[in-house]
Amino acid sequence: MSIRIASRFAMRELRGGLRGFRVFLACLALGVAAIAAVGTVRAGIEAGLKRDGAALLGGDAEVEFTYRFARDTELEWLNSIADHVSETVDFRSMAVVGDERGLTQIRAVDDLYPLIGSVILDPPMPLADALADYGGVMERVLADRLGLKPGDGFRLGTQDFTLRAILDRYPDNAAGGFGLGPRTIVLTDALSNSGLLNEGTLFSTNYRLDLPDGANLPVLRRDAMRQFRDDGLRWRDSRRGAGGTAQFVNRIGAFLILVGLSGLAVGGVGVSAAVRAYLAGKTNVIATLKTLGATRATIFQTYFIQIGVLALFGICIGLVLGAGLPVLFAPVIEARLPIPAVFKVYSQPLIEAAIYGVLAALIFTLWPLAKTEDIRAATLFRDAFGSARTLPPRKYLSTLTALVILLVAAAIKFSGTAFLTLWTAGGIAGSLFILVIAAIIIRWVARRLRTTARGRPALRLALGSIGAQGGEATSVVLSLGLGLTVLASVGQIDGNLQQSFSDELPAVAPSYFLVDIQPDQIDGFNARLDSDPAVSKAETAPMLRGVITQINGQSAQRAAGGHWVVQGDRGITYAGAQPSGTEITAGEWWPEGYDGPPQISFSQEEATEMGLELGDTMTVNVLGRDITGTITSFRNVTWEDAGIGFVLALNQAALAGAPHSWIATVYAEEQAEAAILRDLATAYPNITAIRIRDAIDQVIELIGGIAAATRYGALITLVTGFLVLIGAAAAGERARTFEAAVLKTLGASRRRILISFALRSALLGFAAGIVALGAGILGGWAVMTYIMETSFSVIWPNALLIIIGGVLASTLAGLGFAWRSLAAKPAQILRARE
Amino acid sequence: MGGLEQATSGSIVALGQELTTMNEDQLARFRRDNMGVVFQSFHLIPTMTALENVATPLELAGVADAFARAEAELQAVGLGDRINHYPSQMSGGEQQRVALARASAPRPRILLADEPTGNLDETNGQAIMDLLFDLRDKHGATLIMVTHAPELAARCDRVVRLRDGRIETQAQAAE
Repeated sequence: MSIRIASRFAMRELRGGLRGFRVFLACLALGVAAIAAVGTVRAGIEAGLKRDGAALLGGDAEVEFTYRFARDTELEWLNSIADHVSETVDFRSMAVVGDERGLTQIRAVDDLYPLIGSVILDPPMPLADALADYGGVMERVLADRLGLKPGDGFRLGTQDFTLRAILDRYPDNAAGGFGLGPRTIVLTDALSNSGLLNEGTLFSTNYRLDLPDGANLPVLRRDAMRQFRDDGLRWRDSRRGAGGTAQFVNRIGAFLILVGLSGLAVGGVGVSAAVRAYLAGKTNVIATLKTLGATRATIFQTYFIQIGVLALFGICIGLVLGAGLPVLFAPVIEARLPIPAVFKVYSQPLIEAAIYGVLAALIFTLWPLAKTEDIRAATLFRDAFGSARTLPPRKYLSTLTALVILLVAAAIKFSGTAFLTLWTAGGIAGSLFILVIAAIIIRWVARRLRTTARGRPALRLALGSIGAQGGEATSVVLSLGLGLTVLASVGQIDGNLQQSFSDELPAVAPSYFLVDIQPDQIDGFNARLDSDPAVSKAETAPMLRGVITQINGQSAQRAAGGHWVVQGDRGITYAGAQPSGTEITAGEWWPEGYDGPPQISFSQEEATEMGLELGDTMTVNVLGRDITGTITSFRNVTWEDAGIGFVLALNQAALAGAPHSWIATVYAEEQAEAAILRDLATAYPNITAIRIRDAIDQVIELIGGIAAATRYGALITLVTGFLVLIGAAAAGERARTFEAAVLKTLGASRRRILISFALRSALLGFAAGIVALGAGILGGWAVMTYIMETSFSVIWPNALLIIIGGVLASTLAGLGFAWRSLAAKPAQILRARE
Repeated sequence: MGGLEQATSGSIVALGQELTTMNEDQLARFRRDNMGVVFQSFHLIPTMTALENVATPLELAGVADAFARAEAELQAVGLGDRINHYPSQMSGGEQQRVALARASAPRPRILLADEPTGNLDETNGQAIMDLLFDLRDKHGATLIMVTHAPELAARCDRVVRLRDGRIETQAQAAE
């Protein structure tokens, strides 16, 4: 009964139209649109990756081995399940033209490549023709760097090739993950005399499978893992053809949606303020209804339904925008994406965005709606709320708590990452709490400072209005502050990461990282470096790859709880005497010349994570041979300086005779780097040199991309915050008009009043900027210290931008609504009040 | 006695019911069933038409033919041709007549009028007072009116004079 009457009353109230609800609708629509748009783009990319899964993988399924080709038993099994098997070899090398050298990621292929999809070359020609007779194709960026054009020659190891065409596109480029150089494709057979695929060099082989129609991928995968997991076989199939790329897109999408949620939280401040202002204007109506016999429940339901209908309208606008914009701009987005995407309207991201919108609307409107209970019928006789209760009744507080828990639970479910969601939720809640406290302090300080500003009326008026009860201070600090906090955090984290990669790491990192040094080359290699005064340090270590298969006789996967060290194969090393600089934390290094049962020295940090103890046994499969050793020492391994660090080291005799190569790091003066590289590459063409600066640049570029995407997300938060500011400024317009009228009557000039209005907005913006900066620095410090586990320093240029941004945004919004107040005629305004 | 204010001490008994022990919802129901209130500033709901304003207390009381009765009530106060007008489309006198119709529609036992002519000119004020007394006589309600105008007080059966919140005099009006 009550609901029916409330619905009727609500529909009548809706005749009032959207007046007072524009900011409410804009905030909700923008927040929902941002989340829906990110979700739609993510769904589009996932659909694209799924559609082209087989092409991205280069086959229906793929098995990969590191450091070796498939053995006969493995090949036999592969041929028994597939119609066709194509073998490719992947490794890094140097493409050489005269004195010029470029790091390249080589894919050596057979005649069947590519099994699925096609390679696009410039000039157009079949790949088989391009690769015949020691031909090769490479990506334009490498050809340009080496000054090559089709028809020119280049060298890989000791083998000469002719560049036949530029590699424009190849089907399996997204599955390869993070590569350190542009791609070159040649035939595997053509490398037999290159010296690049010797035993012990670093390469991986991939066997792409063309499976019969209806092949059962999960069953085949299980079968492969059962038979060959301990031999280091890795399986991927077209269900997740893009592998790491799909996971990366998924994670970035989830993160951006969480950033979008902070936009919705800022919008919530505006939603809450709009509902509060609207209901304040409805005080007389509510009191009249109570006089006529309406109960508290009827009143609550009336306005709950009215605001609910408006909220649904705002959410619908957001959904239409969020679904429509990505589809509308599909050609532009597709052109900028390196991976396929299918843009259309997807229901899942829209449902997600709608749920977020509904929950946020409920959370932010329930409090002001609950306050309608405080309006008493007697308000019609004199302006007063019945009670000065600051908190709504307990039933509303319990509902609010339940809704917040539901929102966080929904975010965990949708994002798939409880860790990130809880950090984000904690960050938003913490920031809101800090901002509310800050607003109270700002008002208190403004009231105190007011007395010191006597004789400066513009400043005194500005401070007075900031400190006033029910003024704009709280909503300005909350709305502007949260957006700026997100932006400040991103700025500090990005700046610190960039700083540590571009300034700090190169200062301690080696100039070059060299791989594939053959055992018979190591003495000559060391001699060249030792004789060079420009070389401050050179470290070398033998390197093999092995899979840890068992710990104390149990499956390593089970014993170590799926730790990354036991996932697939790892680089391992051996040593005789304890290398200088090794820091043993427990146990003892084996004596020099030791040739008893195999002994293992393990990294302390990883050992602690895996629960290892001295005396534990560990079985490592190296090139098909199981070696079981006892852990006799733990040592500190540091990764921060990009030096050589192996989790697992065995005594020399344990690995004697196993084919392997050496790796080296060279620390040299920058101007000597080129000469060292030229000499080494000429003497040892098979060696691959990776310039650390180039690798660092790639990482910086990747971080920059993620930071840019996050900034776009944060920008939505800031735009929403600006909308809320406009709402607050519009709500305060009547009070400002009255204030201006009184001041004019008392003899204040328009200029002085304008300065006072501008000062008040600028001071509030400055205060919001300072608070946001403090919260942002705190957030940045927490992320750098506890997640990145690195040092933190304040990035001042970013910090200053945040404060300037706060002042500008607040002043613009405030002054935008000051003109009308200034233009009004005092007599008219003051008479209307009487 | 309208249950609009909370007593700080003592007790209020209206129509045999103790109001000071009632909570807000019980007071709302008491007003719905027993009281009709007319305000100085009319307090019509701006988003509702005249008809809807008058029907509101009837709807709250669960009256089945609320709108038919509301229309009859508006006819009775001479606003039969203005039923679909909003408050902003009506003059002050018309708005107060709607307020009168709204107060008397549920047939309350007490009609409470707070300075009902305070915001009206003399002609409109006179017309409203005539209407108010007519409604009282027609429906047999008790009219309790707050006024500063002695000529209006003179039309009442009993006059209680208040000064600074205290009863100064009370007398039966001259017949």
